[in-house]
Amino acid sequence: MTTNGHTVTDEEIIVCRDVHKWFGNFHALRGITTTVKKGEVVVIIGPSGSGKSTFIRCINRLEQHQRGDITVDGIELTNDVRNIDAIRRDVGMVFQSFNLFPHLTVMKNITLAPMKVRHLPAREAEDVAMELLERVGIPEQADKYPAQLSGGQQQRVAIARALAMQPNIMLFDEPTSALDPEMIKEVLEVMRELAASQMTILAVTHELGFAREVADRIVMFDEGIIVEDQAPDDFFNNPRHERVKHFLSQIL
Amino acid sequence: MAAETQTAAAKVLPPPRTEVGVIGWMHANLFSSRLNSALTVMSSALALVILWYGLRWVFWSADWTVVKTVGGLFLIGSYNTELACPGQNCFWRPQVSLLLVTALLGMIWGILGGGVAKRIAILTAVVAALFAFLPYSLERMGWDVRILLLANLPSTALGWAVARYTPLGQPRWAVAWGVMAFLLTLVLQRGIPNVPGLQPVSVVYWGGLTLNLILAVGGISLSLPIGIALALGRRSNLPVVKLLCVVFIEVFRGVPLITLLFMSQTLVPLAFPEDFPQNSLFRAAVVITLFSSAYMAENIRGGLQALHPGQAEASRALGLPGWQTTVLISLPQAIRNVIPAIVGQFIALFKDTSLVYIIGMVDIVEMGRVFISRPEYLASAREMFVFLAVVFWVFCYGMSYVSRHIERNLGVGER
Repeated sequence: MTTNGHTVTDEEIIVCRDVHKWFGNFHALRGITTTVKKGEVVVIIGPSGSGKSTFIRCINRLEQHQRGDITVDGIELTNDVRNIDAIRRDVGMVFQSFNLFPHLTVMKNITLAPMKVRHLPAREAEDVAMELLERVGIPEQADKYPAQLSGGQQQRVAIARALAMQPNIMLFDEPTSALDPEMIKEVLEVMRELAASQMTILAVTHELGFAREVADRIVMFDEGIIVEDQAPDDFFNNPRHERVKHFLSQIL
Repeated sequence: MAAETQTAAAKVLPPPRTEVGVIGWMHANLFSSRLNSALTVMSSALALVILWYGLRWVFWSADWTVVKTVGGLFLIGSYNTELACPGQNCFWRPQVSLLLVTALLGMIWGILGGGVAKRIAILTAVVAALFAFLPYSLERMGWDVRILLLANLPSTALGWAVARYTPLGQPRWAVAWGVMAFLLTLVLQRGIPNVPGLQPVSVVYWGGLTLNLILAVGGISLSLPIGIALALGRRSNLPVVKLLCVVFIEVFRGVPLITLLFMSQTLVPLAFPEDFPQNSLFRAAVVITLFSSAYMAENIRGGLQALHPGQAEASRALGLPGWQTTVLISLPQAIRNVIPAIVGQFIALFKDTSLVYIIGMVDIVEMGRVFISRPEYLASAREMFVFLAVVFWVFCYGMSYVSRHIERNLGVGER
């Protein structure tokens, strides 16, 4: 199946069944059931507090779901630490606030995990890092510290850092929300290139232009449930739910 | 007519004259208003008066003979007296320890190259060497002592050369050498039974600045790791570990150090097997270290709490296990953020070492007090305490100076 120019296989890489999550008494996820296929690009939108960030944070266990099950790349998310570490090695994540390590150079930020977790020799890790920095367009910043970079550059380093672990899945949690408008473009450009390279992507974002152009599916969350799950054309042109129309009317 | 909004390209202009140069600085900071000018004049006058009377006292009124009389006793207490070291000259032992230290400083200089390390290494070696030229008669300070003091210069150079031209020039070797130098110092000062020249000297006779420094160096280098462990324990998810750490911290923070020192003489022995070799110095060192660790733990915990939770999340998301996240991501940032508090604790610990006088040890302050309670020096109390204050200030300012440079060097990636 080909949509938006990239190949989606039939292999299901993320399977969620009836996932629930509470923060104290607050019921944040109220039964999420969905699957993501290998190579698919899924954009998640929804009003703030709808559970979209919580959902993708459950996929690499930064949040713990309390009911239902999540299987990532054939590994079920349980309390078993080995499973969690295995999944985290396989799933890259990019945060709204970049979360680069300020006490390490850009190069060290990228090589740290491959060297410590995958036990890559330093030279090899640096070669991989340089390749990735070239891919995100900032090889000349390798020896700088994060604070010396612009927001857009920092986010591109964060993407390179996640890619250095050679993940099969990338999670983006509002990657452009903290950026100035002229920097949003450079980050979306990198994400677009990533989508074209058959990476499985789950992205929470408010960039509807990006969603329309790149996503295979757009999923809308509201009050802890999925209210709409459609290909972009259908999502924008014939939404099935009033809430989608309402949401779109508010942000367009 | 209202001014039009200017849309043409703005010209790049130099800053106003009053903002640049010495005149500009003075105008902006000292004489910006009438009140400010008046305050400047008044405070300058006050500073001059204080300086005038201070210097007059130091150079004309004060009688410094008491300081000269105490002399080397300030440095090693009664270590080299006939009582402590019967029948032989033990003065060389603290001297050799000093050589080990200057070699270490030289090594650090060689590793870090220029800057603060260089200044401190050279200053220490030169001051030590200058002591050899003190105008004391040779009876009080023999040739052997003077030569050993002068040897601090080649010792620094040797340390520097080793670090520069051999594979030992790495931080971990400097740390290893530092630990070795400290242990060697303890062994040297204490002596080894039945070894000629190394006759045991009871810790009762250890004293002077050497005692303060041994307690401070031991306390500082152990209280930091213990403090880190306690801070991590207090943040642990394991309830028993957490409880133990909280109890430890609160108990040691909640009791005055003096009380702890008194208690140490009766309580510390209970914590060790009966035949465990221990003495009052060891007991004091244990208590001072643990007391300082409790404060250190809270400083570091403060640094850990100030970290953005996203830092640990990003590390975990990359697949780094919890302990690596702590060691590689959280702790380096937390410690960097609380360097001023940590160094403050080091300084407090160094000053607190003079409290050991209450368990009968004669540190540098107590040495001074012993002399000014003699009838002939009763009038010299002022000179004595000013001198002691200066000695403590030099060391504390040194620590503060080094910490400022460390902060600046680590500040490269400051957010």
